[in-house]
Amino acid sequence: MESHLKLVDTKSSINSNCDTQPLDQHVDLIDRAKLGDKQAFRMLYDMYLPKVYGLCYRLCADKSQAEDATQEVFIQLWSKIGNYTGQSKFSTWLYSVTSNITISYIRKQKGWWQKMFNIEETSHSEQTAEASMFETDLEKLIMRLPERARWVFVLHAIEGYRHEQIADMLGIAEGTSKAQFHRAKQLIEEWMDE
Amino acid sequence: MSNKNKSTLQQQIDGMQKERMPERDLWPGIEHALIHKSDLSLDEVSNINSKKMMFKPVYALAASVTLVAFVGYFSFQSGVVTTSEGLAQQLNEQHIQQRESLLASLKDQPTTTENWQQQLNELDEAAAAIRKALENEPNNAALLRMLKRVHQQQIALIERVHAPAWQQI
Repeated sequence: MESHLKLVDTKSSINSNCDTQPLDQHVDLIDRAKLGDKQAFRMLYDMYLPKVYGLCYRLCADKSQAEDATQEVFIQLWSKIGNYTGQSKFSTWLYSVTSNITISYIRKQKGWWQKMFNIEETSHSEQTAEASMFETDLEKLIMRLPERARWVFVLHAIEGYRHEQIADMLGIAEGTSKAQFHRAKQLIEEWMDE
Repeated sequence: MSNKNKSTLQQQIDGMQKERMPERDLWPGIEHALIHKSDLSLDEVSNINSKKMMFKPVYALAASVTLVAFVGYFSFQSGVVTTSEGLAQQLNEQHIQQRESLLASLKDQPTTTENWQQQLNELDEAAAAIRKALENEPNNAALLRMLKRVHQQQIALIERVHAPAWQQI
């Protein structure tokens, strides 16, 4: 399954607050980070942390796992930043990398904890209880979604990926991505009616 | 499902704040991993070159000095201890700070269960056992992850028992 996870220089129209940074400064930081300048890398980290963590958090639906996944993203980014070709916006490329690494991380972690402690997957109610303190209404409902439906909903509705791209990231058929999205939307709308 | 809900959902998605900040400082862990990676690659380079340098001890000495300077420079720059033992200690100190400030901010709120402090103590004991194991195996990444996980469970427990019932979906 994980062989389907690719770190691609995806072209899409995802917006970011980081896009408002002066282009020259951005390019300079990326170039310096590619050459191994940790100070430049740290500046990129500060710039992109809120968005990367926000994405990790919605994919994981678990604060602590999202923090670990964010660390994993930046650790891997250090060795993969040389793959960024400049064909798309850096933010677009970075969020694609973030989605791929996070989903891969969740899958690995789930397997590791199940193997080590023979535990079942965290139930939705437990996840909700943990997430409930500082969330908006919609975020709470997203956290309640089943894992696969949540991934598709976050990537399509919030991050703006096409079903074709999501299918490629998750290693599923495009039709399955559409069906999962429909299911997620339906569940959220039903919960909003309650 | 009503049309009103459909438009409300789209409005909520559009108005959603995409950015969030983690509660703990993630950089020390990232920096530690990056420095470790740099050391590894330097080791690899050193191994590859060792045969060529066998009869040129002056180059080997220069390489050693460069390696020490490199590691020292980053340790000094970061201002943190970069050994694995240091990381465990740092994690622990950071966690205690976070826990104390959270408990202080929630001290006036009623709790939903009575025995949460006992649960907290049990998690404390688990963390102590993992720290003990880390003394023998300071480079064990799985133990470090477990320690972090136990810390996170403590924070989640404190938040959960202090969350008002109406906030739970």
